[in-house]
Amino acid sequence: MLAGTTVAALAAAPASAFAVDYLSLEEAQRLMFPDADHFDSREIALDATQLQALDAQGIRGRSARWTVRIARHGDTTLGVVVADAVIGKFELISYAVGIDGDGAIRQVEILSYRESHGGEIRLPAWRRQFVGKTQAAPLRVGDDIANISGATLSCTHVTDGVRRIVAVVALARRNGSLP
Amino acid sequence: MKFHRLRVAAACVAASAALLAAPANAQSASEIELARRLDQLAAELASVKAELARMQRERASATAAAAAAAAAASAPAAVAASPAVVASPVVASESQAQGSGIALGPSTVLTSYGEIHYNRPTHDSSKAVADLTRFVLGLQHRFDEKTKLVTELEVEHAVSSSSDPGEVEIEQAFIERQLARQWALRAGLFLIPAGLLNENHEPTAFYGVERNFVETAIIPSTWREGGLQVVGSFDNGVTTQLGVTTGFDLTKWDATSNEGRESPLGAIHQELALAKARDLSVFGAVNWRGVPGLLVGGSVFTGGATHAQATTSSRVTLWDVHTRYTPGRWDLSALYSRGTISNTAAFNTPLVGSASLVPASFDGWYGQAAFRLWSRGDLSLAPFVRWEEFNTARSFASLGTGLTPDAAPTERVITVGANFNVGPGIVFKADYQRFRVSSDADRFNLGMGWSF
Repeated sequence: MLAGTTVAALAAAPASAFAVDYLSLEEAQRLMFPDADHFDSREIALDATQLQALDAQGIRGRSARWTVRIARHGDTTLGVVVADAVIGKFELISYAVGIDGDGAIRQVEILSYRESHGGEIRLPAWRRQFVGKTQAAPLRVGDDIANISGATLSCTHVTDGVRRIVAVVALARRNGSLP
Repeated sequence: MKFHRLRVAAACVAASAALLAAPANAQSASEIELARRLDQLAAELASVKAELARMQRERASATAAAAAAAAAASAPAAVAASPAVVASPVVASESQAQGSGIALGPSTVLTSYGEIHYNRPTHDSSKAVADLTRFVLGLQHRFDEKTKLVTELEVEHAVSSSSDPGEVEIEQAFIERQLARQWALRAGLFLIPAGLLNENHEPTAFYGVERNFVETAIIPSTWREGGLQVVGSFDNGVTTQLGVTTGFDLTKWDATSNEGRESPLGAIHQELALAKARDLSVFGAVNWRGVPGLLVGGSVFTGGATHAQATTSSRVTLWDVHTRYTPGRWDLSALYSRGTISNTAAFNTPLVGSASLVPASFDGWYGQAAFRLWSRGDLSLAPFVRWEEFNTARSFASLGTGLTPDAAPTERVITVGANFNVGPGIVFKADYQRFRVSSDADRFNLGMGWSF
């Protein structure tokens, strides 16, 4: 996947906007935190030690800087929403993860999907498997997350992405970057 | 010029992000430094884009035709409207639709899969062969937000020439257009949605070195036809596929060859190579994935196969039911498929005495269980066992006493082996196959494959 992605990225940098869009991030975060009256955007930066700590957990940090939306009702923090994109089989899947104040996954939403096969990952039944799980859970396909036949790579890559986001948010909370 | 630099920078960011996203067991200090620099580059790029957007906005407002100009420059305008890219990580923001949180990808994607096999019959090692069974290059291209092209070019058996056994073939070449949120249309050469394997035939997607017999001898994987297909995906987990396509050509049946004995439909498929197309076929497939880990589905394909080139017209019909269940470390699947060819008596009568006549029916089923026994990092080992029963000539149309061929014996094959995966894209395989009828064919197989 690496070589293909790299070659393609070099060959076709000026990608036009396309998607089978299901939700915007704004719609997704309102779905996840309907009680929120506003969302604050905050950028968190992981230093080398923190990235290595993630690596030690088997989670590749990928980026040192993440943008997190904090859901608030008045002065009360309800949780956070993080959006990300991973490659499914050939193309990008955009998704968002809502995490409660206690670190448990509140909701996973697929924002856009454009593969010819495997769109079933947006089914509510599949996404519900994540709800309530924390960093303590394996969050791995074939372990606590059931695969979808014909969509193995999409399932695996979205699950890996959710695991990474949960770990990054937990790390940011421990070091005080997030409430 | 500025746009050109931006595109180059975007390409560098995207390529570097892809490099960083690659799986690895360890993240070195230099990689972390690279990540930091990449973030810095992304931030600088975002800043440049915001500045560019601001300048274009100013220019647009300074002209009398401001509204038209702003519409023409829609992408930068979007940046201006939502300068804060909300999606993360920040490195990925270059590939995000500005402000919408929707990620973009490259328009053109290069893909590949392939497999190399070693087959060693246990009773006659002189027939052992090693083969680069197939090498496939795929190219996908997005024309716009709703339309893409999917193609695959395949070389079988490594070398294709008049004196070599190889073949070069186009496995897929279709345009897909998203019509609505739940409906898509495909036109061109596409895979028929039959069984579990045909549409997911990459070596990393199935157990065992060789594809199972039922989905090669009964369902002629990799089976593709040219035509139109409508795909519906619904929130209750149901996916439907309906289409009109080319079909089989019974007039190319070679009664002197054993090919029809090995796979009746494999012997008469056309693969859109100057395909006879007077008679069209229709197909439908329904699959339900409403419970995580469970797939239940079925398909039917039917169409004329003589194209007004035989004294009687024959129809080929193939249907299947299948299920796959993947709870935890288990991967369980089962499939039954049955095919029929109508009006074969008139076709077979002049061929009596030949090696293979056209069967009236053929069928087969299998059950398979795999278990992920061990995994560490991106490595995993999954032993499996598969039991298959199939008959490529279950029955023949009556030609009269003494002339009607006997039905073929039902072959029963047990396959025991393991897949060893290195990440999602590489697999090494080993298995042993024991045949109940053709016991001379008992064999040991080794294989490797890749897919990305």
